[in-house]
Amino acid sequence: MFGFRTTLPRQTEIALGLAGLLAFFALWHVTAVSGWVKPQFLPTPWAVVEAFGRLFTERNFAVDILISVGRVWLAFLLSVLIAVPLGLLMSCYRAVGAFVEPFIDFIRYLPVPAMVPLLIIWFGVGEASKIAVLWMGTFFQLVLLIADDTKRVPAEYIETGFTLGANQWQVIRDIITPAALPSMVDNLRISLGWCWTYLIIAEIVAASSGVGHVIWSLRRFVKTPEVMAGIVAIGIVGLLTDQAFRYVHRRRFHYQDTQ
Amino acid sequence: MTLTLETVSKTFRGDGRDVEAVTPISLTIETGQIVTFLGPSGCGKTTLMRMVGGLETPTAGTITLDGARLTGPDRRRGMVFQSYSAFPWLTVAGNIRMGLKYRSGLTEAEQSEIVSDLIETVGLKGFDDSYTNRISGGMRQRVAIARTLAADPDVLLMDEPFGALDALTREHLQTKLMEINRRAGKTTIFVTHDVEEAILIAHRLVIFSARPARILEDIDVGAKLGEAREQSLRDAPDFLDLRRHVQTVIRAEFARAQTDAEHV
Repeated sequence: MFGFRTTLPRQTEIALGLAGLLAFFALWHVTAVSGWVKPQFLPTPWAVVEAFGRLFTERNFAVDILISVGRVWLAFLLSVLIAVPLGLLMSCYRAVGAFVEPFIDFIRYLPVPAMVPLLIIWFGVGEASKIAVLWMGTFFQLVLLIADDTKRVPAEYIETGFTLGANQWQVIRDIITPAALPSMVDNLRISLGWCWTYLIIAEIVAASSGVGHVIWSLRRFVKTPEVMAGIVAIGIVGLLTDQAFRYVHRRRFHYQDTQ
Repeated sequence: MTLTLETVSKTFRGDGRDVEAVTPISLTIETGQIVTFLGPSGCGKTTLMRMVGGLETPTAGTITLDGARLTGPDRRRGMVFQSYSAFPWLTVAGNIRMGLKYRSGLTEAEQSEIVSDLIETVGLKGFDDSYTNRISGGMRQRVAIARTLAADPDVLLMDEPFGALDALTREHLQTKLMEINRRAGKTTIFVTHDVEEAILIAHRLVIFSARPARILEDIDVGAKLGEAREQSLRDAPDFLDLRRHVQTVIRAEFARAQTDAEHV
């Protein structure tokens, strides 16, 4: 089992993964019931599971999740809608790249949480400021990733396009885009994950709904099990989204796996 | 379609120092000829061919096709690259269809017919719907050739297209190429550094010097070996004589380039 750089049978892999999770929960449970840590700081795993159920039955948590998911997707799509064409242009026309890259690199290093007060002054405490926070957090990273993806398209593909008679626009549409699409979709998946990080920040600072708001308001009553359940809920939504993306990727880009 | 190069040269401008890749070269290639460019690696023969394809701009000189001056790349000059350039997101048929995409005036029925004809020509029947990651390197290269033929270029430019293939596949594709050329009669420039390949498939063989490229010899292979070619020609006395001669020229040039390099 401990062969150096060997592979393991699928069942062994799964068993080890489950054992790891089980060990984590066992350690957690033992710590919680042992009395070393006060229950209001560390409830048992089961208490968190019960709190998870209560969130849905008593607090209408499903609505908050839907609101948060809606915010994430709206901001994410707004990012994608601008980042994909701009990234393509940046890599195809050096002038566009040279014009916007220094600016984007500068913005990219500004910590998004630090922008929150400014964005609230600009957009108020309504939906717009939350969308703005998420957009700021993803757009500037995504546009550079998209530009890199398109830059990595082999020169031969592009030159083939031109010698088949395509013009620049046709090369972008028929060759660069489909060639870069698999890695673009991968990067979209990753930036959707960032959206969730910034969502919680946005909802903690200024919101009256959403997962982040729920977690933050429960904190005031030291409802630790509910707080933990809320965090777990985010993890589950994230995991499901990620898996859905991977599934679509495998189906749509099946030609990438060689035999 | 007569392809004419008139004192075409290329100098790459680098950081602080210029590299002369091609000295002024003049060359006229007649319709339907296969001309092979042979020379040491990195000598500038590929650069010369890329200039014909419009993928590099000559520093000086002009390239004309039937008198019309050529600049950027277009459908008149089709290119086949050394690396496998078949598009992985398309099937074999889809790739070949890309060659028709920018041609106008073809009905759907005509397009389908051209695609299936070309699939047959390059010997890929039954692989129409295979994605190119699932087929061998030799088959992928045949897809690239068929795709270029689909665009119906006046001039076919091939940059060591069989360079990455094993010897057997290579011979097979050489035979195929000669067959295709007989049928389609495309003016072809074929860059290689394999001496036998350069002689076998050529009507005419141009040997280049080490960088910067200059023509060392321009051999009318057709006159020496005749038009009919098969792999078995490799053992014919005329072929062996020619091969020996070409190798002598190449070796002498290599030795000269080495001494030059040592004296710099």
